[in-house]
Amino acid sequence: MSDQYLLSRDHLAPLLRRLAKEYRLVAPVRNDHGDTMFQEIANPVATVPDLESQPQNSLKDFLFPQQEHLYDYRLDDAGGYHFQPPATTTPPTLFFGVRPCDLNAVLYLDVVFLPGRRELSYRRRRENSLLIGLNCNQPFADCFCAAVNAGPFLEEGSDLQLTDLGRDFLVEVGRAGGAEIIRRWPHFFRSAPAEERNRRFQLYLEARGGFSRQVHADQAIKRLAADTLPSGVWEELATRCQDCNGCAYLCPTCTCFTIVDQPQDQHHGRRLRLWDACTATGFTAMAGGHNPVQPGKDKLRQRFRHKLELDVKKHGRPSCMGCGRCVGACFGGADILHFINLAGR
Amino acid sequence: MTIDKIRPGGVIDPYLPVRARISRIIEENPRIRTLVLEPLEELPAANGARSTAGRSSAYQPGQFVMVSVPHCGEAPISLASSPHEPELRLSVLKVGLLTEALHRLPVGAEVGLRGPYGRPFPLADLHGRRLLFIAGGIGLAPLRSVLESCLAEPEKFGPLTLLYGSRTPADLAFGEDLARWQQSGRVDCRLTVDQGAPGWTGAVGLVTELLAELEPAPEQTSVLICGPPPMIRAVCRQTAATGIAPEQIITTLERQMKCGLGLCRHCHLDHHLVCVDGPVYTLAQLQQLEIMELG
Amino acid sequence: MAGLATTFGSGAMTNSINEIEAAEVILVSGSNTTEAHPQVARRIYAAKDRGAKLIVIDPRRTAIARLADLHLALKPGSDIPLINGLMKVILDENLADDLFIELRTENFFALRDYLYRLDLAEVYRQTGVAPEELRRAALLYGRAGKAVICYCLGVTQHVCGTANVEVLANLAMLTGNVEKEDAGVDPLRGQNNVQGACDMGALPGMLPGYQPVTDPEARQRFAAAWGVEPPAWPGRTLLAMTHGREPDSGDGPVSKSDSPAAKPGGAGGADQPGQPDPASGIRALLIMGENPLLSDPDLNGVAENFRRLDFLAVSDIFLTETAAQADVVFPAACFAEKDGCFTNTERRVQLISRAVAPPGQAKSDLEIIAALSQQLGYPMDYQSAAEVMEEIALLTPIYGGIYHDRLAGGWGLQWPCWDRQHPGTPYLHKYYFTRGRGRFAVAEHQPPAESTDADYPLLLNTGRVYHHYHTGSMTRHSAILNRECRHPLLQINPADARARQIAGGEAVRLISRRGEVEFKAELSQQVPPGMVYGNFHFAEAPINQLTTTASDRRARCPEYKICAVRLEKAGGDEGRRP
Repeated sequence: MSDQYLLSRDHLAPLLRRLAKEYRLVAPVRNDHGDTMFQEIANPVATVPDLESQPQNSLKDFLFPQQEHLYDYRLDDAGGYHFQPPATTTPPTLFFGVRPCDLNAVLYLDVVFLPGRRELSYRRRRENSLLIGLNCNQPFADCFCAAVNAGPFLEEGSDLQLTDLGRDFLVEVGRAGGAEIIRRWPHFFRSAPAEERNRRFQLYLEARGGFSRQVHADQAIKRLAADTLPSGVWEELATRCQDCNGCAYLCPTCTCFTIVDQPQDQHHGRRLRLWDACTATGFTAMAGGHNPVQPGKDKLRQRFRHKLELDVKKHGRPSCMGCGRCVGACFGGADILHFINLAGR
Repeated sequence: MTIDKIRPGGVIDPYLPVRARISRIIEENPRIRTLVLEPLEELPAANGARSTAGRSSAYQPGQFVMVSVPHCGEAPISLASSPHEPELRLSVLKVGLLTEALHRLPVGAEVGLRGPYGRPFPLADLHGRRLLFIAGGIGLAPLRSVLESCLAEPEKFGPLTLLYGSRTPADLAFGEDLARWQQSGRVDCRLTVDQGAPGWTGAVGLVTELLAELEPAPEQTSVLICGPPPMIRAVCRQTAATGIAPEQIITTLERQMKCGLGLCRHCHLDHHLVCVDGPVYTLAQLQQLEIMELG
Repeated sequence: MAGLATTFGSGAMTNSINEIEAAEVILVSGSNTTEAHPQVARRIYAAKDRGAKLIVIDPRRTAIARLADLHLALKPGSDIPLINGLMKVILDENLADDLFIELRTENFFALRDYLYRLDLAEVYRQTGVAPEELRRAALLYGRAGKAVICYCLGVTQHVCGTANVEVLANLAMLTGNVEKEDAGVDPLRGQNNVQGACDMGALPGMLPGYQPVTDPEARQRFAAAWGVEPPAWPGRTLLAMTHGREPDSGDGPVSKSDSPAAKPGGAGGADQPGQPDPASGIRALLIMGENPLLSDPDLNGVAENFRRLDFLAVSDIFLTETAAQADVVFPAACFAEKDGCFTNTERRVQLISRAVAPPGQAKSDLEIIAALSQQLGYPMDYQSAAEVMEEIALLTPIYGGIYHDRLAGGWGLQWPCWDRQHPGTPYLHKYYFTRGRGRFAVAEHQPPAESTDADYPLLLNTGRVYHHYHTGSMTRHSAILNRECRHPLLQINPADARARQIAGGEAVRLISRRGEVEFKAELSQQVPPGMVYGNFHFAEAPINQLTTTASDRRARCPEYKICAVRLEKAGGDEGRRP
């Protein structure tokens, strides 16, 4: 990231209000129940983003939604079977306050969904989106992004990247969409002097020292690749997993899905795409009863191999971004941190 | 023939099925029926080239299609026809909700199709070789596609032998085809059943017992296998023991699939996704993977 | 419920769920915790990780039993002798908490005298649990500084369900594991608001807040607020309503717990003048959010009774099997479509806020009840759920300080919460039991109502699976949950299956004295030989056609967990069902 500017904290809200006139604005918002979620801010005057908490959901909810309406189908009396895609509009969307783990997760989704023109709706949404990232000065309790090289600061991938310096935000320009914002609304930004850039580095070092967990992801990655895991790891995880699928749904990089038909009446229905989870027994079981995965023994194996072995082999980096959401959500202690710890025994 | 479809605006939408009408139904046995299909829409191939249903060689033996059945969603089903035949064929075993619904559809009803997907049998590599087909039950469906392709170009292949096993004589499917192949004198068809029945004069026993009677020339023979997992396991072991190279022992796997495009991950197999890396594998490839069928 | 009410005076979890995590020993009885209460199970996992010991009492080898340090696989229906045996060992080892017993309890000598006479060899014969296992469990539990007991329907759904609970309460009192944080007796509720329903008087003999209808002062308070006098006698129990008659009680010997001293304020209490003849038939029913045509025992009896009704109205979010039989159906709003409160298993009252509008003509329960009441000539003039809550606080002392504005923005309040300043109560019975002193109740073994014989040689146990909830009226609409568990399965021990030449996945027919149902066989070591296990989620395999209406004579909870059956191959079907 080359060009660097300062944005006064006082001018953040006015900038967002300005941007919200051109984009659908999505940012972390604390709701009435005390939960912080990425959500659309319809009224940026009344709603301010919550930049103090980790959002419970990720941008996956918006780019690859939990339920996607693929088609309406219709049966006519002559036996005809017709599919009609629903009308869709994809408003230009600005995602604000995206942490490095979640931003890296979007870059991973790009790698999965953009090649080969297989995913038209993902491409449409992604091409219509801008990402404004926020570096993490203080990691949250379950975070371990540094252990998987996904944070706490982002090196590239966002359109604009913010670092909280206190009174100001340091603004680094990444992709073209960010440069465009600076060009169109230059009065919000002023050039960053060298000492503020140095403070960014200082904050980065402090953030790296701020993790409360010691996570040896590299050790687990190496042992997976060399097939030298201690015995009994998969069985123990399979015993503890309680089949809730929560880890996969919360994970910003889990992309397994299923496609189902939802009949409306005898002649009409919808085809939906839903998130799915490789940990579910029915994910691999076949109609005749055979299951190529023995769930009692191996139900979590594909999950962790995919993230820490297969994607390392295929894309050169693990697809776990260390956001820690599964750690907070897991019922049984079968989350990826637990795996990494077991794998290192 | 590729069964992709264009969305308004000219972009190919890989999830959109095309319509196909059932023009004929062959009841192969009480649990297997073959649907003869006539696609109703023009189909752009994955590479953008256009072709028309049925007349093209754009699909290859061993590939599958995702079949939509009203209110039941989609399931992957092997194409049982050969690209040399004028029509599409799907042979379906009644095992679950979708296949049971397929068994209830009448002639004239429509299904949705998209595909073809997956790596086919490597036919070019089999030129000049003796081919030994070994199938159990519904497993003959994908091998039928290969057999018909071989029969359409007899000069390219060596002698063809088929070993086909079923549970009982009443379960023997593909009777029309078997009769035709036997009459043609070009396929050595040998049948066996697990349990005999009054009037059955053929072999009784597992297909592996039939195999033991054969003495395939290991240097010249390639084996193509499809059937239930225990059969695949036993036959792979036995044919490898006769000295046939694992590269010449070829099978096709069944997995749950939702997209066919290498995205949904239901068909994960070690570091492969069977829908794009398979479903056809040589034994040599499978030995590199951790897999139930060889378990 | 009734069991804890008689011993402690309050039928609810004595702890908060998160306290389980800090216990030293956790005794789980009759609970398939990982599948039925995963949020509780996660605390047990966490406690185990911290070094806590886990004892599981269950005839089945469930996931939580596999996790246990000690799994006591008792014979079904032998909970009472097992716990009595544990208590005898604890007494013999001088592990009883004498000071607690002295200061906080009563009737101890009756229990002590009974336990002195108890023959552990007889306990072994009745329970099938080896004496050394029993001893290990007693030492683990008895020596713990903080021990928690979690139990569920495997304890209560028996003809002796109330007594089963009483002996567990005895065990906790004997060792002083009640008054403290991280120690107590915790019934795990199966539904998000079943505690709230009980709290609000959805029990035959109770006004809201466990105020007995037989108490004239309580009746007077409600009469003043409502302008009508509530009936002075208990109403019908659920089974009496759905079957049109009081169900059979267990045929076993009368247990000591039936002594008048232990008589609860619940069913079967008062003989008030004007009390209607219990034998007289109910002619009309309004059923809200319940599907008795799938969930009640002896379904054929329920169906027969419903056909006799003059009028049946059902309010539910889906057209259940029961709603389909109704004369009038009120489409109801689901949890996300209404405002109000739920009270969960740890007595925590939590606010819910409407997230989406109800579909079509569906209305919230409050709107349905108020509209119905209006038509019946009694206008209910509540502007909001918050206003109803204010009336609850006014009339229900344990909810005295619970108002919507206090619940908003937090994690709710745990009752008892006496006034606006009260912070709620994480664990009960700190200085005194709700009933004053905790009462030891002596109970003897009571055999199940139905035992096996030559015609019905197997015991059937029923329960849940992880992926479905009750009669499936909600979960079976979910594509993914349905995929995970699409078929009604019957767990059979491989030895029993072999003896009948039944293969896994094959269709089998299960027959009891009351009906027959088909399942797919699932061979599993989870069930011991001689027992089969099925679940009640599937309308196509209504297992409650088999179960018995024999029920606990005090709580009237039916014995879902035991009935005698025989098993056959279904045949002809090639073992496959859609």
